[in-house]
Amino acid sequence: MNKKVFLMFAGVGVVFSIAACSEQLDAGKSCPLLCPEQAITLLDTTIDATVADTTVTGLPSIGNEGYLMLASHGDTVQSRAIIRYDTLPQTYTKSGLDSTIVNIDSAYLITPIVKPDSLKRPKVPLTIEAYDIDTTGTDTVSAILAPLFRPDRLIGSKTFAPESLLDTLRIPISTDSVLDRVKNGTRLRVGLRIVSTQGADLRVGSTGLGLGVTLHIRASKDTAASPVNVAPVSHTPTDQPFLSGPLADYTLVVSGNTQTVATLLGVGGVPSRRTYMRFNVPSRIVDSTTIVRASLLLTQAPNRRLDPHDSVYVYPLAVLASPAITDVASLLQFVGPAGQFGLDSVRVAPADSGVVSFEIVGLVRTWHNQPTTVSPRSVALKSGVEGQAPGEINFFSTKAPVSVRPRLRITYVPQINYGLP
Amino acid sequence: MMMRLMGHASSRNIRRLCTALALCAVPAVRAAAQANLSTQGFGFPTGQFSTRTWGTGGALAELDPLSPVNPASLAIIPSRMLFFQIEPEYRSVSTANGTDRTTTARYPVVFGALPIGHGWVMSLGSSTLLDRTATTVFNTTQFLTPTDSVAMLTNFRVVGAMNDVRLAAGWAPLTWLRVGFGAHAITGSNLISITQSFPADSAQFSAFTQQRILGFSGAAVSAGVQLVSRFVTAGLSGRRGGNLNMSAEDTLLTSAKVPSRFGASVAFTGIANSAISVRTSRDTWSTLGSLGNPGLKAVDSWDTSVGADLAGPRFGDRILFLRGGFRTRTLPFQTDAHTVTEQSFTGGLGSAFASGHVLGDLALIHASRTAAGLSATEHAWTVSLGISVRP
Repeated sequence: MNKKVFLMFAGVGVVFSIAACSEQLDAGKSCPLLCPEQAITLLDTTIDATVADTTVTGLPSIGNEGYLMLASHGDTVQSRAIIRYDTLPQTYTKSGLDSTIVNIDSAYLITPIVKPDSLKRPKVPLTIEAYDIDTTGTDTVSAILAPLFRPDRLIGSKTFAPESLLDTLRIPISTDSVLDRVKNGTRLRVGLRIVSTQGADLRVGSTGLGLGVTLHIRASKDTAASPVNVAPVSHTPTDQPFLSGPLADYTLVVSGNTQTVATLLGVGGVPSRRTYMRFNVPSRIVDSTTIVRASLLLTQAPNRRLDPHDSVYVYPLAVLASPAITDVASLLQFVGPAGQFGLDSVRVAPADSGVVSFEIVGLVRTWHNQPTTVSPRSVALKSGVEGQAPGEINFFSTKAPVSVRPRLRITYVPQINYGLP
Repeated sequence: MMMRLMGHASSRNIRRLCTALALCAVPAVRAAAQANLSTQGFGFPTGQFSTRTWGTGGALAELDPLSPVNPASLAIIPSRMLFFQIEPEYRSVSTANGTDRTTTARYPVVFGALPIGHGWVMSLGSSTLLDRTATTVFNTTQFLTPTDSVAMLTNFRVVGAMNDVRLAAGWAPLTWLRVGFGAHAITGSNLISITQSFPADSAQFSAFTQQRILGFSGAAVSAGVQLVSRFVTAGLSGRRGGNLNMSAEDTLLTSAKVPSRFGASVAFTGIANSAISVRTSRDTWSTLGSLGNPGLKAVDSWDTSVGADLAGPRFGDRILFLRGGFRTRTLPFQTDAHTVTEQSFTGGLGSAFASGHVLGDLALIHASRTAAGLSATEHAWTVSLGISVRP
């Protein structure tokens, strides 16, 4: 009996202990009547915190584009896609045995593209022409390569109806040209050009994304013979793989290069560009408060030159290089990935105007109690289709009239003695 | 009665009890919506009552050795003893906006006692003086500019209490006289945690959490006396508060005085194994007013109760004690300039187990709290479970 009663008490104790450990939390319906503490008051300030801003063209550097921009807009913009096949195989496999290529039945460029969205799909058929642009000259320079897009170097072409522009295009090229390179063990370098009666853009896959244009060779009509697929590869500049690797394919702008004037900041465009901004935020805010909102307010200047209504995502990015690097072009290549620190993009069209707000609170919070040598007070702006589409977004810079200059709006929690009843 | 309850132990049952105690001691994450009447200011005064005393509404506080109130009562303890208590409270607060229901777990009393000979008993224990543990969740709209506003969800959480650590001694120089003395260290902390989020606009605004620890340090002394006759036992005790400081990290924020207290109980003990008692005490909580912000208003309070601890039915050779009581008091901190009062009805059970080596008490308290002139009421059910063990 004694034992049973004891166990009963112990059981009751355990039950109450467990019950006590549970938590029920309801909304404070009795607030503000009985709430002894209220929400912390937020303060808001807008400051001219930008101490330096500039636009650097030519970023990303040649060969580092995500997609290749194949554009034809009359006299406004002309660009080409260059693909290098510096190594061509001389054998193919048939019935499990290697055979020397002595004939080529067919050769295609298997060309991945980004399917144009319904608003941007060409209205008329377009033709993609392939040219042999191999040369001994400096073959990344427009002045050298552009003249090579001439009829005697045309090695293939195909016209595509607008509805056939899906995900991959097959462009036949001259089998004789390919066979000649294969037999002689020389390289094949191809330039693609778009021809249309209206302005047209295509985004072509690149090796940088693992979507390079593949040279597809069928050396025999025999179905037992396996086709040969050749990926782009570049061997020049020689002995500099850091440079030659990206040049396996790249965009060549033939015409339409522009510069951004000093009163503007540019993002995207031709050639593609990025913007660098450096701030000076008072220590009393960045170090002594808790920042809950930081908005970079930029006033957009309409740019109606190209694709004025094609929306572009503009990304604010953290600059990861230390101030030891003073070259802005270099700084803009040491940037964090999109979305780092919770930085979100803003979707705008080149022809838009008005104030655009970039929310950078996640980045600004990293500045808290950190010296600028550790956490630079800077941000980069880049286009989500930089080097791939010609649209350029412009914002007014610090050299523009005061009313449209960049501003930083910060909402913060001041340092208070909270917690005392 | 205490002497009678002590018998020989069953070590097996002791081990089982220790297991149960260990389970009870698991730290609990505690929270409750703080929009209430009881946990204003620096918190809710649990009363420093044992479960047994709770069962009588607090009327036995000056006579009960398990309640760390009157050090003279320690002289009753005949052998080494450990005591632990748990008190979950289930509370509802009603206003015009609706009713909040919350649960708060408390561990208000723990202590050990050791007889050292010649009628002296030493004790070291800790009890909750003011429990501030609570969580408030509420929505507000913040206007940043006349045209720019944001909806905020605030989670204001306080974890911690102001505790009374007492080193005390009781002495029974005569069969009808017991005296006691105590030295008190007021310790503890409040961990303040504020989280504000912006559920309606998390793209622009980023949630944040700020934390701060407020630490307390203070001192007090206490003394008490008990007079015992055949039919009446009377107890009288007082605590004299010293300085009390509140600091954050190494910065002294405010200073005040530990509230002083005096109280008296008179019990009729003419019924075998029973006591019918009445008690009143006065706490000078107003001395805590300077510890908080200037708007904090603490008021001195009377705490009066009446109750009975009666011998009930027997289970074998064990007596089941039945208890009941009523208590009325003023809570120390005003809400919105209104003084909060509390009335409680209590009931309880108690008995000895394991040949008297284990005492188990259970009390149930129903409290109603109101503030005159304020359209808010609070009701709470508290279950108090106390277990004392003679190792």
